[in-house]
Amino acid sequence: MSTKTHQKKPKTGNNIGHVTQIIGSTFDAEFPEDSLPEIYNALKIDREVKGVRVKVTGEVQQHLGGGRVRCVALGSTDGMVRGTEVLDTGASLTVPVGKGTLGRVFNLLGDPVDGRGEVTVDERWPIHRMPPLMENLSAKTEIFATGIKVVDLLTPFVRGGKAGLFGGAGLGKTVILTELIARIASAHGGYSVFAGVGERTREGNDLWLEMQETKIGKTDRSVIEQTCMVFGQMNEPPGARLRVALSALTMAEWFRDTTGTDTLLFIDNIFRFSQAGSEVSALLGRMPSAVGYQPTLGTELGELQERIASTNKGAITSVQAVYVPADDPTDPAPATAFSHLDAFIYLERKIAEKGIYPAIDPLASSSRVLDPQYVGERHYAVARQVQKILQRYRELQDIIAILGVDELSEEDKLVVHRARRIERFLSQPFLVAEAFTGKAGKITPLEDTIRSFEELCSGKWDHLPEGSFMYVGGVDEAEEQAKRLAQG
Amino acid sequence: MELIATGRFKKAMDRASHAAAYTKKISEIVADLSRANLQISHPLLEARPEPRVTALLALTSNRGLCGGYNAGVLRLVLARIREVRQTGEVLKLEVSGKRGINFVKFQALTAEKTYTQFEDKPTFAEVEALADRFIEAFVSKKIDRLQIAYTRFESASRQVATLETLLPIGSLQTQLQTQSRAAASDQRPVEYEFLPSSGEILKEIVPAAFKARLFKCFLDAAVSEQIFRRVAMKAATENASEMIGSLSQLYNRARQTQITSELSEIIGGAAALE
Repeated sequence: MSTKTHQKKPKTGNNIGHVTQIIGSTFDAEFPEDSLPEIYNALKIDREVKGVRVKVTGEVQQHLGGGRVRCVALGSTDGMVRGTEVLDTGASLTVPVGKGTLGRVFNLLGDPVDGRGEVTVDERWPIHRMPPLMENLSAKTEIFATGIKVVDLLTPFVRGGKAGLFGGAGLGKTVILTELIARIASAHGGYSVFAGVGERTREGNDLWLEMQETKIGKTDRSVIEQTCMVFGQMNEPPGARLRVALSALTMAEWFRDTTGTDTLLFIDNIFRFSQAGSEVSALLGRMPSAVGYQPTLGTELGELQERIASTNKGAITSVQAVYVPADDPTDPAPATAFSHLDAFIYLERKIAEKGIYPAIDPLASSSRVLDPQYVGERHYAVARQVQKILQRYRELQDIIAILGVDELSEEDKLVVHRARRIERFLSQPFLVAEAFTGKAGKITPLEDTIRSFEELCSGKWDHLPEGSFMYVGGVDEAEEQAKRLAQG
Repeated sequence: MELIATGRFKKAMDRASHAAAYTKKISEIVADLSRANLQISHPLLEARPEPRVTALLALTSNRGLCGGYNAGVLRLVLARIREVRQTGEVLKLEVSGKRGINFVKFQALTAEKTYTQFEDKPTFAEVEALADRFIEAFVSKKIDRLQIAYTRFESASRQVATLETLLPIGSLQTQLQTQSRAAASDQRPVEYEFLPSSGEILKEIVPAAFKARLFKCFLDAAVSEQIFRRVAMKAATENASEMIGSLSQLYNRARQTQITSELSEIIGGAAALE
């Protein structure tokens, strides 16, 4: 059932129309009244106009009446002129799926862009598909350990669930995402799909090289051999950024439905998807809604997010970066993305300013599975205790700012003392940031994490200086670091 | 708060300077006596070779909002307690001021006695009662030593949390020498005639000197508290006005952003309808 598409009666054909209007990255085409291309059909333009070769794919968005359709161009409309012939492909855009896609890099049209020639696959799937039926959804809830202390303790990931990394500009969303790829994908036997949506092309390139170097577990194979990547970066027109996530998702769906393995889907950055939608929305003649976003923001995102689901055939675990414009999480785009996620990680500028990375806000971040039913009583109690101490510290911040720390009661002074240590202990050296921190990345087992925080909360490590908690793994390493610091 | 503290500081300062004159004079007399090379022997003067039981009196404030005033004194007390734990002495802790009492309670220590009656106007009668009790305890060898942790007032811009030994008064001479030497340099030491005898005089003057010093500690603490409070409140006022400034800026910016975005939405909506 899940392979059912919007396409009801695929027509192959020689259905040819002509461009009648071009507005930015959208264009109108006129077809004979009796053979109007359906919504979401791909239209192809491949013409030579005055010595310039124009090769664009468009996607039908609206029927305007009078045989005219309005399309979003999935490539640049440069050089396109009115009257150019348009071919209706009779179906929506398809991308290659299958094991042949592994180790390759694609654009949203499913064309390889890594310069390694043609891709050999048996199948192509349309990018517009129905989400899995409710009866097929998997109801399992299992914790997915990452080895990052703050994530495992406060925002545990769900196997087969969705996690979001929210953050403003330059807080390290991409670094955390890359780190998660390095940690999860290298420990994970299944397939991974990476979607680069509207981010820097350079980062995509870095990631590709990084993946070639990272090995899976102790084998000799690199992560890239189990991964396929799809890019539609900042330089692409909005139509490309609007559809690239769907292309990547379609490839991930094939792995889920056909191989039945756990598949990882990384998306950087889902906000760019909403942004691209808002860029074309006005051009399509829709009235802007709150803060200038498209009125269909919720629908568009819902159609994408609902497809990222785990079924009883296989699971898709996805990690998505979400840019938060102007550090304002109430902005409609991040606020809409929020409701789709199981684990929610919020990156806070104030924490980054203190030099604590990952700059995850331990109070604003949350996870559906941080519940004694899933994580166990002990883990839950420790996590709540940590949050309670940090919450109290935050409440006291105003008093400290005005009156100074001396005015606090003895109990509150102790809370501040511990909170400052906990805050620093939430930092961790990353595998991918070794070049920046000069410290080897640390993978902390969940058991160590829980014990460390339990001891911190109980006051066992109150005597260590604050600095010794920065960038260590378990709390025992903090003790060693304290000794090193004392020696100078 | 800053203004109130300033007013109280002036009054406390006056009291302290009045008492200072008396304390200075009595120290001079004691110093002179000692210089007279008399055979001084008084129970309050004799140092015990191995002090076993120490009484520690900590002077803290009853009220908060005085910056690091209490923290400074209590830090000394805590350091002393740690020291005592290692040497195995017995420490009898007495605390004046609610802040210190709370601290002791929180640290799960036991205080022998607590006082809350000393405000910014300690009276000599109250202090004298306290002093009499210490003298009695010292003479009857219930305590071998009396130490006091308080904030010494040096000048309006300098107050130091200090730990001093008041009993036995063995250190009296050395501590007061600087003062008396200054006095002695410009005037010849006065020749005293003791009537009826030096022993009788000492009996009176040594406890009086101790009481004066103890009273001086209380006055110093009271002055220092007001200075600390004034400084802390001044800083608090400044911090608060700074915070008000940045918050109003934030508020105005947020308000403006909202107005701008609403305007652009209305205009955009109107334009889209055309």
